[in-house]
Amino acid sequence: MEDYHKPDQQTVQALRNIATRLRINSIKATTAAGSGHPTSCCSVAEIMSVLFFHTMKYRPEDPRNPNNDRFILSKGHAAPVLYAAWAETGYLKESELLNLRKVDSILEGHPVPKQQFVDVATGSLGQGLGAACGMAYTGKYFDKASYRVFCLLGDGEMSEGSVWEAMAFASYYQLDNLVAILDINRLAQSDPAPLQHHVEKYQRRCEAFGWHSIIVDGHSVEELCKVLSQPRHQPLAVIAKTIKGKGIPAAEDKMGWHGKPLPKDMADSVMKEMQSRIVSCNKRIYPAPPNEDASPVSLRNIRMPSAPSYKPGDKIATRKAYGMALAKLGRYNDHVVALDGDTKNSTFSELFKNEHPNRYVECYIAEQNMVSVAIGCAVRDRNVVFASTFATFFSRAYDQLRMAAISESNINLCGSHCGVSIGEDGPSQMGLEDLAMFRAIPTATVFYPSDGVSTEKAVELAANTKGLCFIRTSRPENNVIYNCNEDFHVGQAKVVYKTNDDHVTVIGAGVTLHEALAAAEQLKKERISIRVIDPFTIKPLDSKTIIDNARATRGRIITVEDHYYEGGLGEAVCSAVVNETGFTVQRLAVSQVPRSGKPNELLRIFGIDRDAITQAVRKVLSNSANAK
Amino acid sequence: ITKFNFSGYHKPDEKTLQGLKDVANKLRILSIKATCASNSGHPTSCCSMAELMSVLFFNTMRYKVEDPRNQCNDRFVLSKGHAAPILYAVWAEAGYLKESDLLNLRKIDSDLEGHPTPKLQFVDMATGSLGQGLGAACGMAYTGKHFDKSSYRVYCMLGDGECAEGSVWEAMAFASHYKLDNLVAVIDVNRLGQSEPTSLQHDMETYRKRCEAFGWNTYVVDGHDVEELCKAFWQAQQVKGKPTCIVAKTLKGKGLKDIEDNLNWHGKAIPKDRAEALLKELEALIQVPNKTLCPELPKDDAAPADLSPILLPSPPAYKKGEKVAPRRAYGVALTRLGQSNQRVVALDGDTKNSTFAETFKKAFPDRYIECFIAEQNMVGVAMGCATRDRTVAFASTFSAFLSRAYDQIRMGAVSQTNVNLVGSHCGVSIGEDGPSQMALEDLAMFRAIPTCTVFYPSDAVSTERAVELSANTKGMCFIRTSRPESEVIYSPDEKFEVGVAKVVRQSDKDHVTVIGAGVTLHEALAAADMLASEGKNIRVIDPFTIKPLDASTILASARATGGRIITVEDHYKEGGLGEAVLSAVGEEPGIVVTRIAVTSVPRSGKPQELMDLYGISAKHIANAVPGLVMNC
Repeated sequence: MEDYHKPDQQTVQALRNIATRLRINSIKATTAAGSGHPTSCCSVAEIMSVLFFHTMKYRPEDPRNPNNDRFILSKGHAAPVLYAAWAETGYLKESELLNLRKVDSILEGHPVPKQQFVDVATGSLGQGLGAACGMAYTGKYFDKASYRVFCLLGDGEMSEGSVWEAMAFASYYQLDNLVAILDINRLAQSDPAPLQHHVEKYQRRCEAFGWHSIIVDGHSVEELCKVLSQPRHQPLAVIAKTIKGKGIPAAEDKMGWHGKPLPKDMADSVMKEMQSRIVSCNKRIYPAPPNEDASPVSLRNIRMPSAPSYKPGDKIATRKAYGMALAKLGRYNDHVVALDGDTKNSTFSELFKNEHPNRYVECYIAEQNMVSVAIGCAVRDRNVVFASTFATFFSRAYDQLRMAAISESNINLCGSHCGVSIGEDGPSQMGLEDLAMFRAIPTATVFYPSDGVSTEKAVELAANTKGLCFIRTSRPENNVIYNCNEDFHVGQAKVVYKTNDDHVTVIGAGVTLHEALAAAEQLKKERISIRVIDPFTIKPLDSKTIIDNARATRGRIITVEDHYYEGGLGEAVCSAVVNETGFTVQRLAVSQVPRSGKPNELLRIFGIDRDAITQAVRKVLSNSANAK
Repeated sequence: ITKFNFSGYHKPDEKTLQGLKDVANKLRILSIKATCASNSGHPTSCCSMAELMSVLFFNTMRYKVEDPRNQCNDRFVLSKGHAAPILYAVWAEAGYLKESDLLNLRKIDSDLEGHPTPKLQFVDMATGSLGQGLGAACGMAYTGKHFDKSSYRVYCMLGDGECAEGSVWEAMAFASHYKLDNLVAVIDVNRLGQSEPTSLQHDMETYRKRCEAFGWNTYVVDGHDVEELCKAFWQAQQVKGKPTCIVAKTLKGKGLKDIEDNLNWHGKAIPKDRAEALLKELEALIQVPNKTLCPELPKDDAAPADLSPILLPSPPAYKKGEKVAPRRAYGVALTRLGQSNQRVVALDGDTKNSTFAETFKKAFPDRYIECFIAEQNMVGVAMGCATRDRTVAFASTFSAFLSRAYDQIRMGAVSQTNVNLVGSHCGVSIGEDGPSQMALEDLAMFRAIPTCTVFYPSDAVSTERAVELSANTKGMCFIRTSRPESEVIYSPDEKFEVGVAKVVRQSDKDHVTVIGAGVTLHEALAAADMLASEGKNIRVIDPFTIKPLDASTILASARATGGRIITVEDHYKEGGLGEAVLSAVGEEPGIVVTRIAVTSVPRSGKPQELMDLYGISAKHIANAVPGLVMNC
């Protein structure tokens, strides 16, 4: 503490004035919008003032500068005070604040990266700190730069487990460039938060999770300046005791005011009173500029150094091909990083770790946080990020994935162990809803490679594709079916089996593509020829190839997938062909909760193996013969 | 330093202690034999907890061996589900399973699956996705303490690796907040995860600090010392007002030479050539091979569940034309159902004034559980409350936030749960709050749950019936409610059934069948009015349930309207109403489906502005009718 320089009285007064103006602007904006959370803004006014005008180093005219300190508003419903702070810096026009929540303004109800000063969208609580961890990890270990990361959380969201996953992560990796400020304003949406104003309980929890934790009066500009100036060797939690609605006499510390704007006349009198408290002072304070020590990064054109080196007929599991591909991609691209949640020996991200240990982040069994950290690592285009676990465990992070689309994130996710074909481990480990999940993410590209070559291409394409990418890999070993010089594109299917007189088009992917190929061989003996298509990406789906080929087989399509019936390959195909006259789609998929057993036994009893396909083909043909 | 107060504690005699040690080694032997037979599984994860299981099942817990699902029994949840073989072994040792059955582990025709499922009477919740057991255990303990007011206790066994899952800490906070002193969590701290050591390894003090900071009475013990375990579990029973956590320091693969505490043995069966010698060593440790220990019986103080149907006391009290938001109607419906049946309970995650679960809370404060902002735990608790048919649980939050619990929901299907989930604030029609609060993937999520019935009621009357039906429908139920107020379109005596759609507008010469639900059903009706004024008729269908979908009504209507269907939904295009309809008509020739849905990440704005902007409002529906272009 000896080297702490207390801010002079003028600075203190200026910071207080700023806090008051932030309150006024938050009230003004929400009253204009007729909705929003002014009381949640008022509790953090001093915190925002000190952070933005005393503690943080950044260029207000260039909010996304790589050298800037980062700020994440995890309690996203306090968006108006964030907007007010950027108006105070001069980046936003004060008049724009009155367009809050309007259909033609970028100042939405919760922060989104349409605003240059927002890196990750928030508004689903408990997600900010994980992303902040990813940014801090990147700053400390990848960029090796001096920028720091500040995350402001509400007390209500401290009930979210994802916060504690992030707390454990930050202390484990000694992220001393990370500061979390907890706004303990006691009141949540419908009830007081469970710990109310027991700040010492928050402190105990944070300390137990390995953070340096200090309790402060969240409305004392001096205390905040002091605590935020401390040098440190571990992540810092500032536990700020505050009053919800501070400065609004009728709402201070009262229930029933969450998410409610002040009525016009009440707002006017409150703002007038606040205005009168602004003591004129000559000092205008500016944020300090950052150190210029984060070097520029180019993530363009991340290419594989060479073509795949598989031979057709080689046997390899696509999950293993993923690990090999990622390790290879990392060899020539220093900004490719990998994350996993203690499944790296199953997803094969271990192969990347073995080769590039400094670019691998072990996230342990905490999938929500892994996805958030990945998102944080990828902001401001600092890294090309791949995170992997069992496909089904991405369901643990579905809220984070949903928010990743709103965040315009470019993360890449690889889910292994899809479907019943994993075998004995049983349904808890089988991804059977992952395609439904990822297809319903508007910004997602969904790869479902079926052999070693196409997996390697999928990894390379994912690294260069904007938006979220998901790669679905399989556990069993399968034949390599493509030549190493085969070209792959997003949204381009491959016809992998074809004659001049095919009767049915069968579309499969992963293990079911190989079952379809086996079915084709079997049917050939019966002089029934079928066409087999590998869609490669399920989203976007190559409608043209599917429609053109299906037309050649009189509109007869059979889809077969190691996934539940809903939301997967079958429904994607239905969507693609629905308005083609004379087309019929017969779908084979898993229709109930499966069980343990050997992979082949399970493919058989859930009706997605070669025999089920041959049967379906025969049935389709006999139906159409009967129709004639 | 372990703090104990031993007054009143009777140390088990030497014979009993030796018996418990012997049982532990028998459990090791059986776990190894079973995983060798299946040539897969996690024997080392079983070996670390052998003494814990022995003491729990033969010294601490009270239950009827022959009736594992008896409502009076103490509950046991194996959160570290990959240790299933030792759970099966302990029930064999208790006499419920045949020892020879254990060798069928993981086989296609055996119920002894790789991870526990409720096909087995002694399993209430499927586990295997880590970090989920404790939330369910909280639900069982809350039910025991506050609803059943019975003496049964709940034990949950966690691995150390899964303590990295946030869901565990949600449950920790919940249990201490509600003072669940009938709950004991055991953490098997065996140091090693799947692919490397856990982040805390054997740092027992950090575990202690975390558990204590989260409000638990905590004992750090040697997990291989049966005497110490007997004491600790006894002590836990004496503690009032706090749940107890037993943090047990153990060795992964304990008892297996050259495997114990070594990496790279996770999830690997012992090679046959090594198994024999190891089994011999374990057998040599057993002093009284044929001694059988019997668990104590429970107190008979929980009544059998009342399984009679749960019906509304009277028909809905809405009038046609009245304006009511379905989310508000949900609160009223649940309250009315709660009047009819004591077993109905409600949960919410600090959104009760938005979902209207508050209406229920006001009427029945003792049957409402505030779960705060922790959706994973809320769903876990709800499932725990619903096990053994003790309650009919309804849990609500914003529909978008149920995505936070999708892993729990997925596992709910494996668990055969009957829980009911209610998601409010669906779609862009919530307006200004913006995309983070809008559920646009919830139908895709819930449709892909095999055991799930998906209700999407469009007015107050149908919402009330949806709530009544879901209380009586097996499997999971999801009810999607909307924020805006909409007109009541059904009369109170209208009958509703799962999988039966309603044709809400029709004439003899309809050009097209429009299928909408919630706000879009009302937009479709508005479009019908607009078109009718130009002399064009359309048929409008309310599917009521999206899963199962009433394919026959849809097909019959489509055929009557030239095969033309328009679907319109406040949801993304993938996995929702539109694709459900495609699936229903996919094999029918001659049907053309136009799908209207939200196709990009939306934004803030007024509800009507957003419905227009994202193309799901009445004018867009009217414009999509083939051969018609509206000038509006």
